[in-house]
Amino acid sequence: MISLKPRSILLISAIFRVGLILFGEWQDTHVEVRYTDVDYLVFSDAASLMASGQSPYKRTTYRYSPLLAFLLIPNSFTSRCWGKFLFSASDLFVGLFIRIILKQRKVPDDLCTYSMLIWLFNPFTFTIGTRGNCEPIVCAMILWIIICLNNGNVVQAAFWYGLIVHFRIYPIIYALPIIIFLDPCFFRSGTKPLLSDWTSDQGKARQINSELTDKCVVCDALKSTFTRSRILFGLISGTVFLLCTGFFFRLYGWEFLHEALLYHLTRTDPRHNFSIYFYHIYLNYERELSVLEKLISFLPQFIVQLVLILCFAKDLVFCFFVQTVAFVAFNKVITAQYFVWFFCLLPLILPWSNMKLKWKGLCCILLWMGAQTHWLLWGYLLEFKGKNVFLQLWMASLLFLAANTFILIVLIRHHNYGPVFRQHTDLKTTKTT
Amino acid sequence: MKSYFENYESLHDSSFEDFMAHQLSSSLCQGIPDNWNVGVRLSVRELSLVGEGSHRHLSSSIRLQIAAASIPKLPAHLCEVIVIQRLPLGVFADPFELQNPHKHKAFRDIAVFGDTNLELPSFQSNRSAVEFHIDAGFNILFMQNNGTEFNLLLPLDARYQPLDESGYSVVEIGEPDMLMRCSVEGKQHKQSCLFMSPPNEKAKSTSATVAWKIPAGMKAHAGFLSVITFVTALLSTLSIVYASMFLSGTKVSKT
Repeated sequence: MISLKPRSILLISAIFRVGLILFGEWQDTHVEVRYTDVDYLVFSDAASLMASGQSPYKRTTYRYSPLLAFLLIPNSFTSRCWGKFLFSASDLFVGLFIRIILKQRKVPDDLCTYSMLIWLFNPFTFTIGTRGNCEPIVCAMILWIIICLNNGNVVQAAFWYGLIVHFRIYPIIYALPIIIFLDPCFFRSGTKPLLSDWTSDQGKARQINSELTDKCVVCDALKSTFTRSRILFGLISGTVFLLCTGFFFRLYGWEFLHEALLYHLTRTDPRHNFSIYFYHIYLNYERELSVLEKLISFLPQFIVQLVLILCFAKDLVFCFFVQTVAFVAFNKVITAQYFVWFFCLLPLILPWSNMKLKWKGLCCILLWMGAQTHWLLWGYLLEFKGKNVFLQLWMASLLFLAANTFILIVLIRHHNYGPVFRQHTDLKTTKTT
Repeated sequence: MKSYFENYESLHDSSFEDFMAHQLSSSLCQGIPDNWNVGVRLSVRELSLVGEGSHRHLSSSIRLQIAAASIPKLPAHLCEVIVIQRLPLGVFADPFELQNPHKHKAFRDIAVFGDTNLELPSFQSNRSAVEFHIDAGFNILFMQNNGTEFNLLLPLDARYQPLDESGYSVVEIGEPDMLMRCSVEGKQHKQSCLFMSPPNEKAKSTSATVAWKIPAGMKAHAGFLSVITFVTALLSTLSIVYASMFLSGTKVSKT
């Protein structure tokens, strides 16, 4: 049992990250291979352009909201590490929010601690912020939205949701589950929704809150879909998104719209990446893909997202997690930084999983890392040895999709699904299988 | 190169050569009537590609020789050697890598001109060129009869190539263009003078090119690959759908 206090964990994590940032500065100056992510230099350049009154989009490959450049303006007149400290601080907030969310559901301290450690001391996650990648900000905002929703604070959740969709498009996939989640059975005017607590049975057997689910499906169908909470959420988040987008469109015009939004919606990259589609895109890049081809590549993503939402929306965090894993796995472009999107949600679902680390959990970890390493090996031969291994690399990406699919199915099978909220009336007895 | 791209949209060898000829003829200096007779000789001793894979270095060994009689005429501390490496379609120089202070502290200035979009494949991109400015002042003063040498190591990256049945595409990189620029104190004002090797001297030097063999996709893969890709995506989809609907805790028991 780990007896570290959360404060100590956060302090050690903070010191470690400061050390990494300083080490990164040394490495950048003295070693040929840089520690800093190339994206950080793009953000910094865009920020200094903004600071001098110019458009951040004068910096080629800057494809983010101007908000990000704005946050990094202090890079120009304080320290060039300001952004890294900001991202690492967000990283620490993610750890803190993981604890808050789990404590909201009365998860025991030791499980909360393990969950925090899984995020804060995951080598992938602590390097990402210290190298200057902005994803920790996105993760922190998403977790904050979950906290707000758990507290019944729809207005605040909507505000941050509108902002995060403007900042990074992908959270749009959470729109429908959030709407479903704002169930009138639980979200009633004037009353805070009641969270269903974690119990020690969660880790042992699967429970099906079938009667509760049945009743609320009927309740939902009978009442109007357009409840106060849902309308409020939609209006506020939509307004925030449109206001931010409209404001920056006014400042930076079509260049902003294209680089920050449209590019991500239509992005296809023929260069090798983890996606199964990369080689298909490269082989067909010189011609326009037919509507049928575009539809066929979009359908798997669409179907999977829809089914996951309909099955798991009431268990919102789990729904977010499986949606994100599937979204990344079926995307036309997959880069390693996308993995952070579901890494921040993984610690939140583990207390509800009856899968043990030994040996099923460990097998899943090894399978995922093995599939990734296998791909990286072929990628290395292509990129650094100049061998034509496109076919082998593509097959490795198929294996990576297969591994992701398998692990997702295993996690679904071992998850103790249950709505986040319970009704204000007495609970019916839950069945245990 | 900045001036070139102010007049031309993209880099073509013929346009560039015309442009250079025009630049030279318009930079005649007072007191030095003919740029070719200053005795400046810039030549490439060696051109090679270093490294493997998609990220390599173009190594150029450049010799600067100035006729002894000309040395006193040149303002040593105000001369610089300008090297322009034109790159073919298919490779590019990353401006980010060129900013690396660890590697490039010896240069007065380095810049990339033309298509600096790192993401486009070669069949959708345009050419680019890299311009180096190297301080020649010290070297001129202490130049021996055999001149002085500069070594340039230019990091290059390969773009994705057009499809090829052989699985590889060969890109050829030629010698750089080189000239020397001096700020000379004229009778009324300072003037910037350009000098380069005489055309006949330039032709004598080995017209060396280096060949870079880059992996390319094969059209033969297209047919079966698309089918297998979509079938795999479909199978994964069906598996996840099945697991979500029938293997998860959302199963509703009938009471």
